[in-house]
Amino acid sequence: MSFEWQVITNNFSFLMGGLLTTFQLAIIAISGGLALGILVGMARLSSIKPIYYPATLFVNLMRTQPLILVIFWFYFLIPIVLGNPIDAFTSAAIAFIIFEASYFAEIIRAGIQSISKGQVEAAYSTGFTYWQAMRYFIIPQALKNMLPSLITQGVVVFQDTSLAYVIGLREFLRSANVVDAREMRSVELYLFVGFVYFMICFSMSRICKRMELKKGAA
Amino acid sequence: MIEIMNVSKWFGDLKVLDNVNETINKGQVVVICGPSGSGKSTLLKSLNGLEPFQEGDIRVDGISLIDPKTNFIKLRQKMGMVFQRFELYPHLKVIENITIAPIKVLNQSKTKANKKAMELLERVGIPEQANKYPGNLSGGQQQRVAIARALAMEPDIMLFDEPTSALDPEMIKEVLDVMVDLAKSGMTMVVVTHEMGFAKEVADEIIFMDEGRIIERGTDRTFFENPESDRAKDFLSKILI
Amino acid sequence: MLNYDFKWSILWEEPYGGWILEGVATTLKLGALCCLFSFILGVIIGTLRITNYKPLRIFAEAYTEFFRDIPLLVQLFFWYFAVPSLMPETMRVWVYQEIPNFEFWVVVVGLSLYSSSRMAEQIRAGINSISPDQFNAALSTGFSHYQAYRYVIIPLAVRLVIPPLTTETLTVFKNTALAMTVGVLETTFMSQQVEAYTFHGLEATTAACVIYMIITLIVVGTMNWIEKMLAVPGLIIRKGANS
Repeated sequence: MSFEWQVITNNFSFLMGGLLTTFQLAIIAISGGLALGILVGMARLSSIKPIYYPATLFVNLMRTQPLILVIFWFYFLIPIVLGNPIDAFTSAAIAFIIFEASYFAEIIRAGIQSISKGQVEAAYSTGFTYWQAMRYFIIPQALKNMLPSLITQGVVVFQDTSLAYVIGLREFLRSANVVDAREMRSVELYLFVGFVYFMICFSMSRICKRMELKKGAA
Repeated sequence: MIEIMNVSKWFGDLKVLDNVNETINKGQVVVICGPSGSGKSTLLKSLNGLEPFQEGDIRVDGISLIDPKTNFIKLRQKMGMVFQRFELYPHLKVIENITIAPIKVLNQSKTKANKKAMELLERVGIPEQANKYPGNLSGGQQQRVAIARALAMEPDIMLFDEPTSALDPEMIKEVLDVMVDLAKSGMTMVVVTHEMGFAKEVADEIIFMDEGRIIERGTDRTFFENPESDRAKDFLSKILI
Repeated sequence: MLNYDFKWSILWEEPYGGWILEGVATTLKLGALCCLFSFILGVIIGTLRITNYKPLRIFAEAYTEFFRDIPLLVQLFFWYFAVPSLMPETMRVWVYQEIPNFEFWVVVVGLSLYSSSRMAEQIRAGINSISPDQFNAALSTGFSHYQAYRYVIIPLAVRLVIPPLTTETLTVFKNTALAMTVGVLETTFMSQQVEAYTFHGLEATTAACVIYMIITLIVVGTMNWIEKMLAVPGLIIRKGANS
């Protein structure tokens, strides 16, 4: 069995184009998901019933669904709502933002809840309103505590982008798949894809571990 | 009877036991005290083979712990141990905690084991807790069950590893009372503890350890009133207010 | 909404309804098999990770890191497309011809390996949360190593590990949806099959969503029932088994 690694070098720019799409989708998904997730996470902590219940329903609903199905669902829904067809990237981006928001929301919720009541009371006692306390004390501290979990979830999102394959998005995996269909060198190609993903995700998880150790020592 | 002869133990580069020598006779109550990290728990756990050691020998009733032919299972049947955090089996009821070893190791019948267990629970003062789970008991009650569990195997020697250190103050007395009662009944006991009141009441010998070495030995009178070494004086001044 | 003609009746018209039900059966079979294999593998790898024997421990750590840093879909593609090319000619022919539902078994292998690394993490965390003195206490009453494991450590570990494994089991069932990409006729695949034939993608996909919701409820309900059966009053099961 001989390996022909030129298939990778020959198609390198094509494959890297796919990787770029992966990164773009991941960045949009993570930032959008985090932003929406903060809102949903805070809604989950609210004592106002009309805010708490929809947020809780949303989060619990998303947790029952495979992401791949949610991608399909938005792919069909959005054109119906907008009346126009939509490209795979936008459809995937929307699906990811909404889906991943539910996971980010839970991390945020746990992070905010982990800030002791004493801290909150200290903030109030110096005259801050709820929103000011949140903005200047609670959320910054909570974010610092949550950082390892957030990064881990970011890595998960990065890997999840490969699922956009199913609606034809030319991300990293699909580019490899396209080349494979043409050149029939699946071993080299998928080993390469796996290797690149591994390198990126492994480094991020190492950074995470180092952060947790520093946090523990502090 | 326990003979500890020139025992040394290393954890990597750290020497945790340094040439320890001691003899404990039948019926004696020996209290080991000292600052944390002095090796007291390690020494205790090496007596029943839970902690191996690199140098020296320990003989329990003539049986050498470094003899490769030694049957540790048989040895441990003769030595009961009580731990700082009780270590009851949370998934078993109190009575099952006590009977499981006699049934599985000594092949006793369930009826016989249960009967003995109830007697032991009476002896430690909590027969009514027999069918509860450890999670429902207070710390003091759990530790008393732990003592009963150790006694169920009818040991000749009882080892105690800081038995009251994890207890709330109001529960320490109930456990110490059981231990005093046990001492007065003639049990050979080796107790790692800071409870000097207990030591004063029943200890035949008090050993002070620091950095893996036995620094000083004494009886309750000599040790508390006239400690010889500076380290012992320092330690006592910190724990006896 | 706008110019879309909703037709929910396709879901119970033949043959579409039948396809979807077939898909559900496949999902359940695939999920159950993968849960079983990944649990067994997870126990093995999980215990290897705590063992004192360094080479085995490093192997187990590498195993866990490897499977969690590569997307599941990439792994499935590797098993489905790449591995057959690595096989010698005769073996490959045998695999394609003699094994019915080759793609089903490829997913069983791929998903079980992937999930086993995650379960190994949970199991390791559970076993680690048992204090070493628990083991010492058992030994001190004269138990052999085997007896200590059998009567104390393992029953305890099982109870500690069930809650996180509930989440993992759910994840396995959700991950079976990826099997559609290699042609396994499970729920998601069938929903898209219905879409291809009827062009009513939203209805078909929504049906699949409802099905996964029901599967979730059943799995969670079952695991909660198991947890209740094993529960011991006062045992704080929901300890920090976070990985």
